[in-house]
Amino acid sequence: MHPNEIALNDYVDAALDPAERAHVERHLAGCVECRQLVEDLREVRRQTAALQPMEPPSRVWTQIDRALRQNRPSPRPIWQWLAAAAMLVIGTAVGVRYVTSSRPAAPAPAVAATAATGGGAVAAPGSNDSADNTDNRELAKSVEDELLQAEQHYQRAITGLEQIANADKGALDPHTAATLQKNLSVIDQAISESRAALKAQPASEPAQQSLLDSFKTKIALLQETVALINEMRKGNDAGAARIASGLKPKS
Amino acid sequence: MTLPKQRQPLPFPSKPVTVGGGDAALVAGVQAGDVDAFETLYRQHAARIYSLASRIAGSPDEGEDLVQEIFLQAYRKLGSFKGDASVGTWLYRLAVNHCLDFVRSRRAKMGRVTDTLDAAGSFEPVSPRETPLARLDLERAIEQLPPGCREAFVLHDVEGFDHKEVARLLGIAEGTSKSQVFKARMKLRGLLARRT
Repeated sequence: MHPNEIALNDYVDAALDPAERAHVERHLAGCVECRQLVEDLREVRRQTAALQPMEPPSRVWTQIDRALRQNRPSPRPIWQWLAAAAMLVIGTAVGVRYVTSSRPAAPAPAVAATAATGGGAVAAPGSNDSADNTDNRELAKSVEDELLQAEQHYQRAITGLEQIANADKGALDPHTAATLQKNLSVIDQAISESRAALKAQPASEPAQQSLLDSFKTKIALLQETVALINEMRKGNDAGAARIASGLKPKS
Repeated sequence: MTLPKQRQPLPFPSKPVTVGGGDAALVAGVQAGDVDAFETLYRQHAARIYSLASRIAGSPDEGEDLVQEIFLQAYRKLGSFKGDASVGTWLYRLAVNHCLDFVRSRRAKMGRVTDTLDAAGSFEPVSPRETPLARLDLERAIEQLPPGCREAFVLHDVEGFDHKEVARLLGIAEGTSKSQVFKARMKLRGLLARRT
């Protein structure tokens, strides 16, 4: 009697225990038909094992690439970058406003009352308030640290947006690209000037606010750039024109 | 990022292949939206995925569509790739699941509940004297296998899954997997030319 099909299959796959294997081999020794079957099954296995991977036609990647560039099913969609940058801007601005609004009013210069003494001498401002001076310096340092943190937050958002914008800037026409570049240069100059002013007067609130405003302006411009690139990639000329019209050269 | 001018064939047997230390940088690039990085990933794994898809689906044309779907799905899902396996293994698992979903869906549309070799005709062993003289390419022969047998055969004999894994993937008993693979081998034996 022939072994059942599963036993023969397992024999070919070397999946039988020793006793079962011995039983099959005893049968094969006397059965030409089953011996031939085993050889044929082994040949199928050998040829199957020799199969090579098949390269897909080149059009497959072409279609994938087109789909990616048209639809941008990105692992991190562009809108997530914009939302992240926007949240950074909002969070940082709120944080800075909190810091500046919670700062106590700078103490008025101390002027010694001289009427009581009748003397002509007037005490120098704060000369008799060393503790207040220390507090002011500490407060200034705290504000400076907060501003540095805010600047770092803005810079990270700017860097992220710049990477996106620079990666796809080729999608913009030369005139628009030149306008954007000029606007960015103007804003960068304002940032440099604000930084210089802050360096001279670290406690200057106008200088601090000017710096933060410049960062916000730069982020807004980069966001518009990315949005413009997206509209152009989608072939939405009307949307692209609407955005581009807002990108007037800044003086 | 430069691409290799000549694509090297992937090594066989076709157990999941790890790419190595460049995985992390490649995945990071893709997650940042770098299509060039994704193309590199595609070039590294497309042949293996296409082969799997074509053989399971039984058609190179279906295989092309499946490869596109698999890689686009991978691009979307790479954001959630955790790195607990190599990206090649992760991609391969995605491909196996996608291909099997496809054949199940196709079978459901065709109204069949099960596919067996019996429905496709005889699979009786062919005696040496009756072996067909014409030689058929093994790939074409695999395409001609009935769907249920083809999937079990491709997963076991071509891709290297054991019967327990095949059974789990196909939702069948282990014994059924063995039976399907045997029947597929018998069918191929009848279609391929014998060496004398």
